[in-house]
Amino acid sequence: MQSVKMQRVKIKSRKPQSLGSRLFDVGNYILLALVGLVMFYPMYYVFIISISSAEFINQGSVNLFPRGINWDAYKIVFKNEQIWTGYKNTILYTTVGTLINLACTAMCAYPLSRKDLYGRSVITVIVTLTMFVSGGLIPLYLVVSQLKLLNTMWAIVLPPAISTYNMIVMRTSFSAIPDSLMESAYLDGANDIQILARIVLPLSKPIMATMTLFYAVSHWNSYFPAMIYLNDQAKYPVQVIMRDIVIQGDMAQNGDIASNLNVVATNYKYAVIIISVIPILMVYPLLQKYFTKGVMVGAVKG
Amino acid sequence: MRKKLMKRAAGIVLAGTVFAGSILTGCSGSAGQTETTKAQQAADAGETGGGTQEGAAGSESSTDSKISDKELTVSVLMMDSPTQPIKNFAPAQQEIFKKTNIKLDYQIVPSSSYADKKSILLGTNNFPDIVYLQGISDVVTYAGSGIFEPLMQYVNEETMPNFYKFWQQYPEMKKFLLNGELYVFPVIGRDESANGYGPVIRQDLLEKHNLKTPETFDELLDVLVELKKIYPDSIPWTGRKGTSQLLQTCSYMLGSGYGSKGIYYDYDVDGGSYVFGPADVKFKEVLSYFNKAYELGVLDPDFATTTAEQFESKLSSGKSFFYLDNSGFGQNYTKALRKLDGMEDAVMQIIPIPENSFGQKRAISYQTEVMGRFYALNSSAKNKEEIIRFIDWMYSQEGSDISNYGVEGESFEYNAQGQPEFKKDFVMQYKDAQPSTYYAIYSDLGITKLNFTLWACNTRTWFEIEKLAGNWDEVSDEYWNIVEADKAYRQPHIDPPFTEEESEKIKDIMVDLNTMLEQEYNKYIMGVEPIENWDNVIAKAEAMGVRELEQIYNDAEKRANEQ
Repeated sequence: MQSVKMQRVKIKSRKPQSLGSRLFDVGNYILLALVGLVMFYPMYYVFIISISSAEFINQGSVNLFPRGINWDAYKIVFKNEQIWTGYKNTILYTTVGTLINLACTAMCAYPLSRKDLYGRSVITVIVTLTMFVSGGLIPLYLVVSQLKLLNTMWAIVLPPAISTYNMIVMRTSFSAIPDSLMESAYLDGANDIQILARIVLPLSKPIMATMTLFYAVSHWNSYFPAMIYLNDQAKYPVQVIMRDIVIQGDMAQNGDIASNLNVVATNYKYAVIIISVIPILMVYPLLQKYFTKGVMVGAVKG
Repeated sequence: MRKKLMKRAAGIVLAGTVFAGSILTGCSGSAGQTETTKAQQAADAGETGGGTQEGAAGSESSTDSKISDKELTVSVLMMDSPTQPIKNFAPAQQEIFKKTNIKLDYQIVPSSSYADKKSILLGTNNFPDIVYLQGISDVVTYAGSGIFEPLMQYVNEETMPNFYKFWQQYPEMKKFLLNGELYVFPVIGRDESANGYGPVIRQDLLEKHNLKTPETFDELLDVLVELKKIYPDSIPWTGRKGTSQLLQTCSYMLGSGYGSKGIYYDYDVDGGSYVFGPADVKFKEVLSYFNKAYELGVLDPDFATTTAEQFESKLSSGKSFFYLDNSGFGQNYTKALRKLDGMEDAVMQIIPIPENSFGQKRAISYQTEVMGRFYALNSSAKNKEEIIRFIDWMYSQEGSDISNYGVEGESFEYNAQGQPEFKKDFVMQYKDAQPSTYYAIYSDLGITKLNFTLWACNTRTWFEIEKLAGNWDEVSDEYWNIVEADKAYRQPHIDPPFTEEESEKIKDIMVDLNTMLEQEYNKYIMGVEPIENWDNVIAKAEAMGVRELEQIYNDAEKRANEQ
């Protein structure tokens, strides 16, 4: 909101606009507001369903405003121990995973950004190749299993240590840093690790922030590796538990007497969704100032 | 970026599925993680168990010696259930351990991930001693690679007396044989009540407007027309998942059939035979019945696109009066309706299956005898002998009592007839539990069908608990009485196993066939095409190999029966 206001002031101070331009602006705002609404409404809907009472939901009469407001669904969610342990695990996996991601990605991107790396183009091609070809699930599972990583946190955080795409973006951003800076550091006696730590990284805060966001979100949302590699319920991240609660109701148990009861109520499902989405949603505003500077700014320049 | 990642993930999954088939034979050696023998604990465990129980008169295996002399851990791959969370080493499993010295160690997988996880574990031969299977098709896929223990060697009076009894009692279990060999232990239902798809109507409105409970499907339409006249804004008959669900739920009662994808087993054709419903002349009755209902304004005009949510909202707001689907839903709508103003007497109640135009009253219930749940044994499991004896014990009355009722003296007691019964004060602790009293008890004790049980209860324990807890009302009582008194219901037929080749062929024919047919049904129901033209559709289906499809099914059935 603030940035919008500031922009408006800026435009006004330049010169009076023509009618056509103003109309365009108005139209633009309306259009963007509509697009925004389209994005916002589903979230909002999930929220109002989660606090409405079951009878109104079943009648299909909750559309714009919550009806029969109550927080029972949340009370039940908060009583669910699985969700809490899941939460703890997710936070652990996200933190550890993102740290590993950032370290590995930076350490891979930095050498590749240096023009004086021997065999740079060959290595780049090999690395890029992994974006398009992968070994497949079963071999991957066997590798993880042979490394004795099964049913440990490491099975979740180590295999996705570097996302090739993110690495390339980071490399491009690094290579925008003038060589002369690094040369002068060399002359002052710094080695490569020092240059990375003291010169390149401090200059690359926006890209690091962006990568943090990318990686953290992907860890937060990931459920598949956890589902495959973990056997112990106490180690499941919240997404696995949420997925189970949400999907379960849709897996038409036609042949089952249990389907007699619509046991997983819609508001409960939606409350779980809200609970599992909110924390990661809060990270966005914190990183937004870096984000708007644009992950691609570096890429375009380079 | 996210999209890209997701694409990649999807790619991995895809590649995984493709590889799964080719790789499973390649890897052996890494067996299931089994057996932790702790000799020191075996001693004190020996003291606690072994006591003879007074009530369990009929149980054959309550001898003094336990299944296993030393303490054994047997791992089981289990599917979790959000309604009944499975817990490791719950009271029932502790009791089992006491009686048998077998400690069950569950590997619990969320139900939504079970199929994926199971295929990876089976594909990499990395699974526990016992694995839960949802259907027989996994056996066909994996049995060839030798990862499952062949079981026929154990199925005899001497080795498995309890299971052998069931084996003889339910000859249809032969269907689970693959080339004469058994690879799975099927779960058997214990005193289960069977409901199923059934017609459910607003009984209170019938009484209020002096309408007779319909006894034939034609009378049913008349009644709904009357209701439509009285309530012009209503949509008397609604459905839940579009045309195919409508056909699935109603076709068999109307004299033809649909199964879930067209092919179904008709008990009344040549003493029982597979028929592709829509390619049969009798199917015209089904379509013309729906057409009539549609034109009379009785059937939901949106029947082809309606969703489960709409279905629910129409029925629980009183906009619709009738549905033909899982009849158990009715009780929920009764509760929902009674909360509305002026609807305190509303009752959604099942009616006995009406007679169709062929003079038959027939319906298929849900599976309650051989329940469609299976457990396979890892061929590289250690202590197979003990595990087999243990599994047999699970089929015995003692095993079944513990795995369905929990701990004697704590959660249940034996009555004069030697049958287990829940204790009232135990049940009352769960009076207002979520999601329901019985599910909370099932989950806490680690009992019944969804847990590791082989002679399993579900409805029997459910009714008992709800009655003890005082949650049982006359509507549910009446409901089960009507269902149980109705002779029209039959157990679903168990499909025979198919060879890989047959499954391929079936899939090929089915896809084309159903793509063609799905475009046709609505035209006939909505009256765009006259019903006489359905013969052309049948001819088209025949050109696409529908008779061959029926042949494959019937041959496989014959083959399975001859084993």
